Amino acid sequence: MRKTLLCGTALLAMFGFATMASAADSIPVGHLACYTGPTSDVGIPYGNGVADAMNYINANGGVNGKQLNYETVDYSYKAPQAIATYKRWVSDLKPVAIQGWGTADTEALVQFVARDEIPYFSASYSGHLTDPTGKSPRTKAPAPYNFFYGPSYSDTCRGLVQWAADDWKAKGETGKPKFIHMGANHPYPNAPKEACAAYAEELGFEVLNPIVYDLKPGDAKAQCLTLKDSGANYAYMGNTAGSNISLLNSCGTVGAKPQFLANVWGWDENSIKAAQESGDGVAVPLGSPSWKDDVPGMATVRAISKMSDPSGETYRNLHYMRGVCATFFMKDAMEMADKHGGITGPNIKKSMEMMVNHVPAGLDGVCKPSTWTNEDHRGTTEVSVYTTTYNGGDFKFNKQSTVDVPRRADWLGW
Amino acid sequence: MNFELLTQLLVNGLIVGTLYGVVAMCFVLIYKSTRVVNFAQGEFLLIGAWTCWALLVKFELPFYVGFPITLAFMMVFGIVLQVLVLRPMIGEPIISVIMVTIGLSMFFQALVAWIFGGYTKAFPKVFETESVNIAGLQIETAYMMSLGVSVVIMVGFYIFFKYSRLGLAMRATAFNQQIAQSLGISVKHVFAAAWAISAVVSALAGVVIGMVNGVSSALSFIGIKVFPVVILGGLDSIIGAIVGGLVIGVLENLAEFVDSQWLQLGNMYSIAPFYALVIILMIKPYGLFGTKDIERI
Amino acid sequence: MASAHSRMRCGEFRTTYQQDTTIFPTPLARRVAVIGVLLLMTVPLFGSAYQLNLLIQIGYYGIAALGLNIVVGFTGQISLGHAAFFGLGAFSSAWINSTTGIPVFFCIPLAGCLTMAVGLLVGIPAGRIKGLYLAIATLASQYILEDFFARADWFTGGSAGAMANPFSIFGFVMNNDRSYFYVVLFYVVIMFLAGANLLRSRDGRAFVAVRDHYLSAEIMGINLNKYRILSFGISSFYAGIGGALFGHYLGFVSAEGFTILLSIQFIAMIIIGGLGSVMGSMLGTVFMVLLPEVMEFGVHLVGSGSSTLTQALAYIKEMAIGLAIILFLIFEPDGLSHRWKMIKNYWKLYPFSY
Repeated sequence: MRKTLLCGTALLAMFGFATMASAADSIPVGHLACYTGPTSDVGIPYGNGVADAMNYINANGGVNGKQLNYETVDYSYKAPQAIATYKRWVSDLKPVAIQGWGTADTEALVQFVARDEIPYFSASYSGHLTDPTGKSPRTKAPAPYNFFYGPSYSDTCRGLVQWAADDWKAKGETGKPKFIHMGANHPYPNAPKEACAAYAEELGFEVLNPIVYDLKPGDAKAQCLTLKDSGANYAYMGNTAGSNISLLNSCGTVGAKPQFLANVWGWDENSIKAAQESGDGVAVPLGSPSWKDDVPGMATVRAISKMSDPSGETYRNLHYMRGVCATFFMKDAMEMADKHGGITGPNIKKSMEMMVNHVPAGLDGVCKPSTWTNEDHRGTTEVSVYTTTYNGGDFKFNKQSTVDVPRRADWLGW
Repeated sequence: MNFELLTQLLVNGLIVGTLYGVVAMCFVLIYKSTRVVNFAQGEFLLIGAWTCWALLVKFELPFYVGFPITLAFMMVFGIVLQVLVLRPMIGEPIISVIMVTIGLSMFFQALVAWIFGGYTKAFPKVFETESVNIAGLQIETAYMMSLGVSVVIMVGFYIFFKYSRLGLAMRATAFNQQIAQSLGISVKHVFAAAWAISAVVSALAGVVIGMVNGVSSALSFIGIKVFPVVILGGLDSIIGAIVGGLVIGVLENLAEFVDSQWLQLGNMYSIAPFYALVIILMIKPYGLFGTKDIERI
Repeated sequence: MASAHSRMRCGEFRTTYQQDTTIFPTPLARRVAVIGVLLLMTVPLFGSAYQLNLLIQIGYYGIAALGLNIVVGFTGQISLGHAAFFGLGAFSSAWINSTTGIPVFFCIPLAGCLTMAVGLLVGIPAGRIKGLYLAIATLASQYILEDFFARADWFTGGSAGAMANPFSIFGFVMNNDRSYFYVVLFYVVIMFLAGANLLRSRDGRAFVAVRDHYLSAEIMGINLNKYRILSFGISSFYAGIGGALFGHYLGFVSAEGFTILLSIQFIAMIIIGGLGSVMGSMLGTVFMVLLPEVMEFGVHLVGSGSSTLTQALAYIKEMAIGLAIILFLIFEPDGLSHRWKMIKNYWKLYPFSY
């Protein structure tokens, strides 16, 4: 009896849910977003960027005339949820490419996407995703179908450390500067932990024991007291913006003031406003111009923004631009694939790997020129370091330097 | 041994502990008078802090207007919750009562996250923030204020239960509902009042924490931290709640000290209170100061 | 005439204790259940991937929910940490499989046993604690185990999680939903029959006695500690099997999947289904698995294209779960299985029901 009831209810409730089979001339794309999880603070602007960009592509001729048929799923930053969604997509949506999000889920999916030959464009810039062949000694698993736009977390952190070393000298300080890694016990903050510490040591830093603080925003005064006591000069914050605001507030309260270095998702316009004085002077790598900047590509970005905000008044932050870039690199690869035998996963991968200093059309100055090869998925290793200043309601990004992190062979996949 | 860090952490533990104590007191107040284990205590902080934030930032009211409105709102909120949701649960088994408050907690957490988003928001500056130096620990005035507010609340609670009519009625109801009823106390009103007071005081704590750390979903986690506190202090002892709050606050910071100096595990800070809870319950199944049920057949 | 009268059925009448303790209440119910299982076996032939996925989810969550019902509904012990045991099953199965190379087919029951062993261990102190204190203690164990999962690199792969190989038996790999459905169905049938059977046994009656009045039970010679610990063990076994099925279905296990939220969902399943009812565990699971899907469907219906609603979908789902718990507890505290009985009784006596 329970079985019939089960079956009946299930069937009744399910009618009409199944995704319609995609039309022949459309390109199925999966879009995995974090709108409600602990990283939703940066996941929402990035996800909006991706969605707007895809709508814009569809409204402007599609990919060589073919429409993108994308499905957005919010997975709340839970890796198992992401895998479940992926499995569902493979059986019904059959995507030829996926726009993904976090490190935990992307790294968990590496083997799946390699098996199913689906190029995966993540918003995770984990260094573990950069080795497509698995040749590098540090690589745990080859990631042939993973791509991302921007320097890897490890390279970003190396760039920041490099800047920190110069900063230390420029300030005329003597002795060994102390470097500390801070972040939750989670694949995303952990990704650059060892790689960055190794480079910091190489540059003459004293590397201290890492400090753990929660990915969800919360009180971190105890951790800040430990930080203060450790005497660190440069502290790398591995979490996303929302959590970093709490950390900086707490550290401001207890008077722990090292030079904070944020990762690419760890600092943006919103956090400067929310952290106020506590966040003054944080060093951050910028992967894109800001909304008010006047570079040629911004005209396109503003047009894209109108897809979801016709008034054009919404301020889009840094993460939005990176979402747009990630989508347009995918689009360009699809166009190339279309000319070379059709839009399939393997063809998109090959097209991505043919890009040399490529900038998507119409996005000059917004997206950095990036190069992928079939042996190296580090799109770019250029890290632009800025510091931010907060002056009562307004804020400024101050350019410090552009660090060109060397492409060492043994850093691949690390 | 690094004594400077240890002292600073202990002072921090005491300040955080008083706040835990206040929230635990609100929890105990509800449990003592209505026998409801409130898993949604953290959401009171959350809702209170966000309401105040919205009034101050979105409606741009001055603090002395927005804050009383927040408290009034929370009072109504507490009463409505009691009347609509908890009153039908009287006489239901304990798991139902637990689950209904867990349900409330889930509902309000999601609702608040939906309305206000996942971003930490800063409170407008109400007081000039200047740091004072206590035992080598730089402490912001807002933070000091939280200590002051907590102490005032505690004294207020003491006077309320000792001298006011309602306070006496609540104690009578907690002691024995039937006798209280026969003496002309409206148990219904007492129940509603317990929820209202608990909601208002929790909201106060939420606003104070929000001023120091910024307002975010993290506030609701304090509702979970309350459990080690009340297990330590006894579910029905107001004084126990305060003592338990201080102990757990200090314990957390001690765990951080041990962790950072020797263990290097990383998150002892957040997990240590739960270990303490389990150990206490293994040794004393009714908590440290809890009253043991004596059952008669 | 008399014989005709005696054959006329009006409601259920039982004249022997044997009749009162059959697995299925009536022969008709048994036949319907058998036909139901047979019908379900044909689902992979015509069902869409989406429907199969939902049914598989209902399967492994249902097994775990039944386990929780044994400890909460039958024995009256509150557990807020069931998701941790569910996770333990998933991790152990993946771990046994990857370290020893034992085929997954055997790893699933092994994982169940390992989880049961841990459950028995946890049950020993839990036997001393009652009611509210037990609820809080299990809540704490949920957080402690969650932390352990995120830290034990050797066992769980740490915060990065672990890969779980697809289900295989003697080189025959079942890695698609169609074949895996049969694996889950097999376990559902076995576990539910065993669960229903447990209630007919001496141990099952002891559980119920402990729940109804533990002092009287003790006076009647029931060893309280033994049965409290045993019920934790059995419940963990169910959770372990459910978790192992979950892990090998998904192919990946990580600590993020087994949070307090899942524990709450398990309790919601048995409360909505009906505490102390085997069938209720399944009904409640069906409800809880389909509820978010219905919400998603509703949101797409109302606000297709409205990005604010779509972006809030996870919140809406979570609110719906919270609201469902509250509303059920207020308006239908005995759960769906009770409602189902009422409907049955109404029709049985129709049109003379009063």
